[in-house]
Amino acid sequence: MISDADPEVILEAANLSKSFGGKPALRELSFSVRRGEIFGLLGHNGAGKSTALGIFLGMVAPDGGEARIGGESVQRKRARALRQAGAIFEAPAFYDYLSGWENLKVLMSYSGGFDADEALRVVEEVDLSDRIHSRVSAYSHGMRQRLALAQALLPEPRLLLLDEPTDGLDPEGIKWFRDFILQLREERGMTVLFNSHLLSEVEQMCDRIAIVRRGRKVYDGELAGIADDQVILEIEAGPAEQASACYRKLGGQELEGSSRVNFPEGTDPAEVARALVKAGIDLRKMTPVRRSLEDVYLEVTGDPGGEEDEL
Amino acid sequence: MKLFLIQLRSELTKLFARRRTYIGYGAFLILELVILWVFHLDKPREEMGKILSDAGLEVEHYYSALTVTYWMLGFSMAMLGAIYLALVSGDIVAKESEDGNLRMVLARPISRLRVLTIKYVAVLVYTLTFVWFVGVSGYLMSALALGWDGGLFVWNYDLKVFAFFPELTAGMGRLFLAMLLLSLSMCTLSSIGFAFSCLRIKPAAATILALSVLFVDSVLQMLPFMAPYREHLLTFRMSNWIYVLENKVPWAKLAESYTFLIGLDLTLFVFGWMAFKVRDFKT
Repeated sequence: MISDADPEVILEAANLSKSFGGKPALRELSFSVRRGEIFGLLGHNGAGKSTALGIFLGMVAPDGGEARIGGESVQRKRARALRQAGAIFEAPAFYDYLSGWENLKVLMSYSGGFDADEALRVVEEVDLSDRIHSRVSAYSHGMRQRLALAQALLPEPRLLLLDEPTDGLDPEGIKWFRDFILQLREERGMTVLFNSHLLSEVEQMCDRIAIVRRGRKVYDGELAGIADDQVILEIEAGPAEQASACYRKLGGQELEGSSRVNFPEGTDPAEVARALVKAGIDLRKMTPVRRSLEDVYLEVTGDPGGEEDEL
Repeated sequence: MKLFLIQLRSELTKLFARRRTYIGYGAFLILELVILWVFHLDKPREEMGKILSDAGLEVEHYYSALTVTYWMLGFSMAMLGAIYLALVSGDIVAKESEDGNLRMVLARPISRLRVLTIKYVAVLVYTLTFVWFVGVSGYLMSALALGWDGGLFVWNYDLKVFAFFPELTAGMGRLFLAMLLLSLSMCTLSSIGFAFSCLRIKPAAATILALSVLFVDSVLQMLPFMAPYREHLLTFRMSNWIYVLENKVPWAKLAESYTFLIGLDLTLFVFGWMAFKVRDFKT
């Protein structure tokens, strides 16, 4: 089902399928995350991202396929696989009636034991030392997320699974969180799966992304250069019919409702300008347009916003 | 084993850190005070005195802390105790599932069987401590009100138990043995609540279902034409702790009943585990 374990691959999803009540949530989802990579799993709400995360953590049993962490099958050797991972959820549910410190003690007892010195170090690292002995019910959302980071980091994982971790945080909190994750990767070579629908966050953090739509992967690739596989030029030229013919000759395709023309990868804008002038077309303006991740996202999901059916 | 004990301590920390865990303790202290007050009223004293003198027993000696404690346990545990034990056991998995705490636990390298075992043992510990709290606090309060001396008088019409222990130490020994068996009986109710708690239902639903099972069983036991079948009923088996207070203890009958109850407890645990094992916990 899964190819021989590649030591550079930390997380691997192979043909994951899952249905809830006969409704498909995931359809043969496959991708892999390499060591030290920050990988973004993108999709609308209900696209299947959380189901995938549930399968990686052994909380959801797939109907088909397999998930592996560090070469260990989550479905067959769950404990060995999860020993290598830490997870943070969108709304981490702590025991509100206990202090942050007691929460760490309780949660770490399920991960093999609590080391007070190590816990102190991690608590300091996530900047929660002042309030760690306060009840969690008195914590702000940002403090809860810091505590969530602490509990995820305490078992010293090599993979972090983040499910919409910045949702509900204020801009300062988001920046702190982003910088912290990037620092973790920088200093410890941490591998991160970042599950989000916040494109700006993904754009600033991830090396590679996969986009999921209705449980199916519709894009998987490097984030750098994601927008450079096509050349888009905003052109004002006339007469329009002659200009269109010229674009088509160069492999260009006019984008409906705009003055933008999409040319094949590698097209030199100067060459386009020369061709237009040579054809006697009055070229008034030509500006290269850089596609954003949002453009790509909307293009591959084929849906300008909105949620998919909640699964 | 050491890790299991650490995990159990964590579970007990969570259980005893919640205020609702102590509602039962508080309610029972109040109930014990009420029962003590009732035993101080003239009419109950007269009735009790009549029963004792009809049996040829010295009223002053048997109207004691031990006897009042026996009545407290018998009266209160079957009804009020059942409610609080069902509340805690019905909550133990379902509440964490509802609140999302279980996601945080299940994201760790621990098997579901182990998570459930820890929770089940914690529920049993709670049940045992709860019954013992009621028994010991009831005895201490009764002793403060009536004095430390006196024998133990036991009377149960339904189970046809009539016994008395003139010596304080003998009576106390039997009463503590009865508390031990009563706590084992109550573990069955907690097991029912626990099994329902493992299903995908609200905590309140698990509690109500557990109490419903108990009450339906009690009603069946009360129906006259069910008398030949009462040995198959849960509440009858659960009430068998009283037999240990007979002057000549029917050990075989007790062994049979407690084998039945422990077997049922284990079956309920397996039922809960099987339901829990196949559940998806979506983030």
